[in-house]
Order: sequence, then structure tokens, then C-alpha cells
Amino acid sequence: MSGFGGVLPWARRTLVEQDKVLSSEEFSAILGICQIVPGPNILNLAVCIGSRLCGAKGAFAAALGLTIGPICIVMLLAVLYQHYSNLESVQGLLRGISAVGVGLIASTGIKMLCDEFRYPVMLLVVVITVIAASYFHLGLGWVVLIVSPMALFLGFRKALK
Amino acid sequence: MSLLLGLFLKLSAFSLIAFGGINALLPSLLNLSVYQEHWVDLQTFADYFAIAQAAPGPNFMTVTLIGWHVGGVLGALLATFAIAWPSSILVYLVQRQILGISNEGKKKAIQYAAAALAIGLVLSSAWQIALQINHSYAAYGLTLLTICLTVFTRWHPLYLIVLGAVIGSMGLI
Repeated sequence: MSGFGGVLPWARRTLVEQDKVLSSEEFSAILGICQIVPGPNILNLAVCIGSRLCGAKGAFAAALGLTIGPICIVMLLAVLYQHYSNLESVQGLLRGISAVGVGLIASTGIKMLCDEFRYPVMLLVVVITVIAASYFHLGLGWVVLIVSPMALFLGFRKALK
Repeated sequence: MSLLLGLFLKLSAFSLIAFGGINALLPSLLNLSVYQEHWVDLQTFADYFAIAQAAPGPNFMTVTLIGWHVGGVLGALLATFAIAWPSSILVYLVQRQILGISNEGKKKAIQYAAAALAIGLVLSSAWQIALQINHSYAAYGLTLLTICLTVFTRWHPLYLIVLGAVIGSMGLI
């Protein structure tokens, strides 16, 4: 619920530093998996950690616990939006927030990109993905299918280094 | 009813290809819900995106809001469940296998490959979404400012969202 701007740092602080249910290495390893697997990353993390602690029931509880509060809040906001979306200032406010939101997504990508410069050939995967998706407007599924063999190949090369 | 079923099936399919998380999925989601299925118009999509960014919690709330638009509370729950269940079951099943790979190199290789793919998808997502929802030079300016501030400072994203809200409500965007 206090996950403004992403739940991840907060999850780490609670699970590793306060409750000590996971070691720092375990948390990083699990996070690594959740970023490989498609789907909402934070939800994947909840499923992994929940199942680690209490099996399938834990996974379900963790996923539900993570989503139910925010869903209620967001639906409340949706009702407010329905009533006030014709106001000039509300429209402007949302335009401002969405412009910032796009910037936040871009900077997530840029920060991750900086790590890739240690093995520059891998940037080829990034470039091809961007061209396929943004220039040729291929669907996400196609992009993943086309790019992943090359990504895996270079991934193995990078790991061997 | 068939509308809700379509929503559920289409979003479920997205769940399994969303490398890089929901952020990477946004252009496909926009394309599907605005141009193919006409669940929402472009302005409403942009507004829901903004609301989801400003609200606390996971970033897939854009999906929840589209579901809400299509079918009220039931639609919202169904959409959220649809985007969540395939990948959740996948990660539940594969986590042991991946943690169990004893070959450190193989594990690393998969991780590197997924990371590169995710970066490409997230960057092109930001680009495509910006083209769709930023309608003025001021909006692009604000997006660029956000990128600079997050890359070069350690400002909390919430401050940036508040900044965007203030600038926007003054009618500058």
C-alpha cells in the first residue's frame, strides 16, 4: 500500500532488513528470476517469496495481499475521475502526471542500459528490439520471438567471459 | 458477457509475453484497448495511465482501470486477474528449476539475455507511449526533465509526479 513509485525498495526493506525472512542474497536471486519471467515483476516477486514461505497458499496470499488494497484505491480514484474529468485543471493535472510517468519508465530503461555498457555487443539486442518494436511496429510477441535467440546466444557469450 | 470474456482472454495472453513487466506491455495494451477493441478512447487511456502512475501500488493498475471502464468492479477484478494469473503460475513453476540450475554460467546467460530484451522493450515502450500521449512541446519537455532528474539525482519518483501534477494543473502542459 505504501508503494508509491514502485513497491520494490520497500519490499526489500521489510523482508530482508526488518523481518529477516530472507537473506540479502536470497532476495537478489529471487529478484533475478522474477525479472527473467514475463509478467508484472512485483507480482512475480510476491508469488516467489510467498511460495518460499508457505507453498502455493503463501503464493496466493502474497499476490492477493499485494493487489487488493491498491485495486480498491484505484477504483476510488476512477470514480472521482468520472465525476471531475471534465474540469480543465483535472485534465491538465493528468497530462502533467502522464508526461512524468513516461519519463519515469524511460529512465528505468536508461538506468538498466548503463549496466549493459560493460559488454557492448549486448547493446545490439537492445537496438534491434527498439527498432523492431518502434520502427516496424511489430507486436510484443513477435519481438520477443525474433530477438530472444540472439539475446540468449550473446548471453552465453557474456557469461563465459 | 462476451465483452468481459474477450477482455479476460486477450489480457491473459499478454501476461506471458510481458518481458520487462507491465511498462514494456503498455504500447501493446494501448493498441489493443484503443485501436483494436475500442474499449477506451486515447484520452481516457492516457488519463488512466496517469492515475495508475499517481496511485500507490504495483504499476499494472492501468490494466485494472481499463477493466473498470469496460465492466465496473467485476471488469476491474477480471482484468487484474487476467494479467496476473498466467505469469504467476509460470513463475511459481519455474522458480525452483532456475534456482536449481547448478551451472552458474547458464543461469547468468539467461539472466543477461532477459535483461537486454527487457531494456529494449522498456525503452521502446516509453518512446511509443510518449508519441501517443504527449501532445505539446511542454509535455515532451516535462518528460525529458523527469528523465534527467531521475538519472542525475536521487529524487523520489513521488516528488516528480507531484511536480508534474502542479505544472499540469496550472495549465502549462
